[in-house]
Amino acid sequence: MASLIPCPHCGLRPKEEFSIRGDASPVRPAPTASDESWHRYVHIRDNPKGRIVEHWHHALGCRRWLVVERDNLSHEVFGVTDAADWAKRKEA
Amino acid sequence: MSFMPRHILEERIGDFGRPVHADHLTVLRRPAIASVLAGGPVEALSGMAEVSLRPVGPGQWLAVSQSLPGSLLAESLAAALAGLGAHVVDQSDGFVLMHIAGPNVRRILAKCIAVDLHGDVFAIGQAAAMMCCHVAANVARVGADAFEIAVPRSYADDVFEEIVEMGREFSLTSAFDDA
Repeated sequence: MASLIPCPHCGLRPKEEFSIRGDASPVRPAPTASDESWHRYVHIRDNPKGRIVEHWHHALGCRRWLVVERDNLSHEVFGVTDAADWAKRKEA
Repeated sequence: MSFMPRHILEERIGDFGRPVHADHLTVLRRPAIASVLAGGPVEALSGMAEVSLRPVGPGQWLAVSQSLPGSLLAESLAAALAGLGAHVVDQSDGFVLMHIAGPNVRRILAKCIAVDLHGDVFAIGQAAAMMCCHVAANVARVGADAFEIAVPRSYADDVFEEIVEMGREFSLTSAFDDA
């Protein structure tokens, strides 16, 4: 089991313990936002190469949602944050 | 109609005489297990005798006791945490607790656990939720070369079979604790 993810709660763990939800960068529009922006939020995804942020769920560990910043080309992990802390940091 | 409590691994292990080798897997027949959910630290429980508190994640623990009956464990935990907004649920019937010990225990577990269990990293008394045989398990180090694995009851059959399979090269034996 390669591809180790440093979980902030559990330490270094194999990727098999996680399930990946996908891109963490789209921002949820306001409920009254236009259909166009909701369509973009729900269906349209970029397909970037390089440094990305993703939502990972530590399903077989602490069961917390995490935000993993990694390179999808080299598999290098730059940082892992609890999703709650990440949301707080984004608001601030 | 009788409700004789029957362990889920009863058929797997059997109760006939079995040898006990250096590497041995003991299935605890009736451990008391409760899950504890709390917003903050649970210092109130650190003084509780006969209860081992095993972290699962932030604000989540698995309390394990081998001497108290299940319902009593949950009750005493709830009493100790009263007023702290914590939740305690009796999980004694929901988990199977296995104790594996022996000189080759790390080489056996290395086949299904990707976490470093070396003595310098994973201290005695330490516990964590981790993947064991592709199942969400709680693994605790209870002695120099002894670990306790708690798995959900419905996965216990599969995990038990796989650990026995992995231990075959070290002639791992298995039995119930009261056998």
